[in-house]
Amino acid sequence: MSIGITISDVSMSFETPTGTKDVLRNVSYSVTPGLFVAIVGPSGVGKTTLLRILTGLTKPTGGTVQVRGSAIEGPPDGLAVVLQDYTRSLMPWLTVEKNISLPLRKKRIAKSELSARVRESLAEVGLEGTEKSYPWQLSGGMQQRVAIARALATRPDLLIMDEPFASVDAQTRFDLEDLVLKVRKDFGITTLMVTHDIDEAVYLSDEVVVLYGKPAGVREVVSVDINFPRSQIETRNDPRFAELRTHVYSLVRGLSEPTEVV
Amino acid sequence: MLGPVPPAVVSVVAALALWQLATSVGPLANLSIPSVTETAGALVTELTSAQFYIRLWETIQMAVAGFVIAMGLAIPLGVLIGLSRFAWRSTKFTFDFFKVIPPIVIIPIVILVLGPTMQMGIFLIVFTLVFAMSIQTGLGVRDADAVLLETMRCYGMSTWKQIRYARLPSAGPYIAVGVRLSASAALVVSIVAGLIGGAPGLGKSILLSQASGDDPRTFATVFVLGVIGIAVSRVVIWTQRKAIFWMPT
Repeated sequence: MSIGITISDVSMSFETPTGTKDVLRNVSYSVTPGLFVAIVGPSGVGKTTLLRILTGLTKPTGGTVQVRGSAIEGPPDGLAVVLQDYTRSLMPWLTVEKNISLPLRKKRIAKSELSARVRESLAEVGLEGTEKSYPWQLSGGMQQRVAIARALATRPDLLIMDEPFASVDAQTRFDLEDLVLKVRKDFGITTLMVTHDIDEAVYLSDEVVVLYGKPAGVREVVSVDINFPRSQIETRNDPRFAELRTHVYSLVRGLSEPTEVV
Repeated sequence: MLGPVPPAVVSVVAALALWQLATSVGPLANLSIPSVTETAGALVTELTSAQFYIRLWETIQMAVAGFVIAMGLAIPLGVLIGLSRFAWRSTKFTFDFFKVIPPIVIIPIVILVLGPTMQMGIFLIVFTLVFAMSIQTGLGVRDADAVLLETMRCYGMSTWKQIRYARLPSAGPYIAVGVRLSASAALVVSIVAGLIGGAPGLGKSILLSQASGDDPRTFATVFVLGVIGIAVSRVVIWTQRKAIFWMPT
């Protein structure tokens, strides 16, 4: 069951030797259950800081993040994550199968069910038969697929991804983007993704949240009104795609004022 | 070993030739340093005497016992102090202090308490290894990747799981380096214990043959120790490759 997430007046500041540094100020945004949301903004604007707050790893200095109607105090139940650095978030000393099943074992799932789930999620990401391999025996793109399979195997209500495709080559990146679209179609998990790639944000999302300013706030929430299914060739050639990416690009670069997109 | 002439053989043959030359015609000819042939003769005598094997067995027992006890104490202790920031900070200072005390310095005190016995040698080995090994293990536990630990927290994995599946494996390569150095050090200290402190074993053999001016026998014993040293490091490295399979060595 997908869940919503409500960000209310979240602020974050860090104490530095030169004084207090405000990173986020009064960020408010409500994620509709089942939507795919990309968070974009200029480098260093605080995208990853916001994402860490949403995972419950970092406590905001102000405001709250609510999941299932109550403010989170740590990582909420039903959360799955996919991070940029797959070499660091997968365990090199465990096989692909064990990497995927490790988060499941707290849930008291029967052994047979466990291996069925591993198999299903590997099939979903197109990695059938890699159960007994070690992550470092696979290519970068395949390792990130393992990380996605691990996320799916937990049957998450909320998926958070931090620059998930930033460390793979361009071709693999397109393949992984399409994999994410397929996952979206198959499961409809509420997904938040930070990316610095504006085309990718528009291509994958229902909504694009643009962070801007120092300290950063939500500059605009751009609704991506392009129908699904989307494809690398057709969608990227859609005039609406070009309009939206230009609009988001201008917002991120501070070139245009926010507008109401109907 | 591939190829017609293994590289190690070349350097061994060269070293032996140089030694033989230096002690027969070269600058060391008229000193009391035995030649290769004299040493080889003494080595054959040693290898055919029962006494030698008793001494060898004593050395191995002492080194293995000291090594096993030290690792058995240091690895769990290192894990514990590595897991707690407070324990780490409070023990780091004292352990670093003890770590740098050479075993020779405390031999007189240890002899007073335990005498020139095998227990004395074992104690000396444990004392030499335990502090450095604890710190080494603690460093490894603390070096677990922050990204991995946070990923595990996001998935709601327990503290125990984080220790079992992230912190302990992360400490593996650190422990491996510590074990490798400790194994060689255990052997060295077991000899020192005999040579300086009169503990039983090959160290004492060297002490006795030196005292009686039997230089070929001294050299033959030292040669045996060198061979044991190589064997120990080979075994340890082989074990490590199996245990820490995810790291290239």
